[in-house]
Amino acid sequence: MDKNRHLQRQLDMKRSLLDQGYLDEQFIQLEELQDDDNPDFVEETVTTFYNNSARFLQNIEHTLGDCPIDFPKLDNYMHHFKGSSSSIGATRVKNECTRFIEYCQAANAQGCVRTFLQVKQEHAILKAKLETYFQMAKSRIAAGAPSLCRSKNTSFAEFASYRKYKLFRKSDIVYRYLK
Amino acid sequence: MELQADVSGTQQTQNPHFHVLAVDDSLTERKLLERLFKESSCEVTLVDSGDKALEYLRLLDSQESESTASSTSTRSLQKEGLKVNLIMTDYSMPGMSGYDLLKRVKGSSWKDIPVVVMSSENVPSRISMCLEEGAEEFLLKPLQLSDLKKLQPHLLKSLVYPSKVVNSSTDSGNDIAMNSTNNNVVIKRKAASPDPLERRPKLQGLAVV
Repeated sequence: MDKNRHLQRQLDMKRSLLDQGYLDEQFIQLEELQDDDNPDFVEETVTTFYNNSARFLQNIEHTLGDCPIDFPKLDNYMHHFKGSSSSIGATRVKNECTRFIEYCQAANAQGCVRTFLQVKQEHAILKAKLETYFQMAKSRIAAGAPSLCRSKNTSFAEFASYRKYKLFRKSDIVYRYLK
Repeated sequence: MELQADVSGTQQTQNPHFHVLAVDDSLTERKLLERLFKESSCEVTLVDSGDKALEYLRLLDSQESESTASSTSTRSLQKEGLKVNLIMTDYSMPGMSGYDLLKRVKGSSWKDIPVVVMSSENVPSRISMCLEEGAEEFLLKPLQLSDLKKLQPHLLKSLVYPSKVVNSSTDSGNDIAMNSTNNNVVIKRKAASPDPLERRPKLQGLAVV
């Protein structure tokens, strides 16, 4: 595949994830922090999130199975999980966490159980999508396409055209975020 | 992931390396904090609890008993090679909360070091409680690079020794004055800064004394 098509594919997928609300501006912020010295920062952070979140989801699941349910404990777990989700820009996951916390604070066990299924589902869907996204990034790099990182090695022309595209997209996102 | 604190020996003159102690129980968020601070050319030490932070600052009861409050000063701690220019702490942590940590720090020989509290929740009572206890800023998570720019004045302030009177203004429009008699810092914030409303807590424009 032409290297620019690789770049385009990846950018289109990111745009789609943002438009559909799977990710938000925070994900863009993570990409802004990626550079030559930290070329895999986003994937590393996402991997850290998924490695840790699995444990929290298990803890929540166990606590939901207790009788009686320890709602304050659930609340703590879910607040932590929600915080981590929002730090990688996982909007849909974060929103389901918010709903869960509301049920939790109302001591509504059924509501918690139902919403927890949604949390797990969104968590899994996003994981699959991000795996695809990072795979695209690897294919793009293998094909020699310009890096999405701020790179010293990218030619100025390549970087300028990418930067222009990225700024265009970013202003688009900022507009949506503010409105 | 912990780094050695930069030991400049005597005074920080040109090219100071700011050292931040960041406290957060979430590994994902610590990773983000680390990257943000390194991007801002700060050295950062990350710990996952208030207790570990106190241990690092040598404020645990077992450590404090080795020296009296009057003889231990930030300067002498600096002579020992321990320099911290800013403490960033998450509010919600198991065990010791960020607020508890803030109180401990402000009641110790590290009281002049700026402490910034972070939280993913915008709770006005929580914010005012922290600011009243002496927190310099209360930032909403998730943190972004633009948030760290707001910390610049606090980092610069930490380079000034309490005995000096400094009157300076920064790009962000804050006026910082140090009172030499009681080491209090008065920060006046201009209202209506250009920050997006969602990022700043609702007490923007409040004068912090």
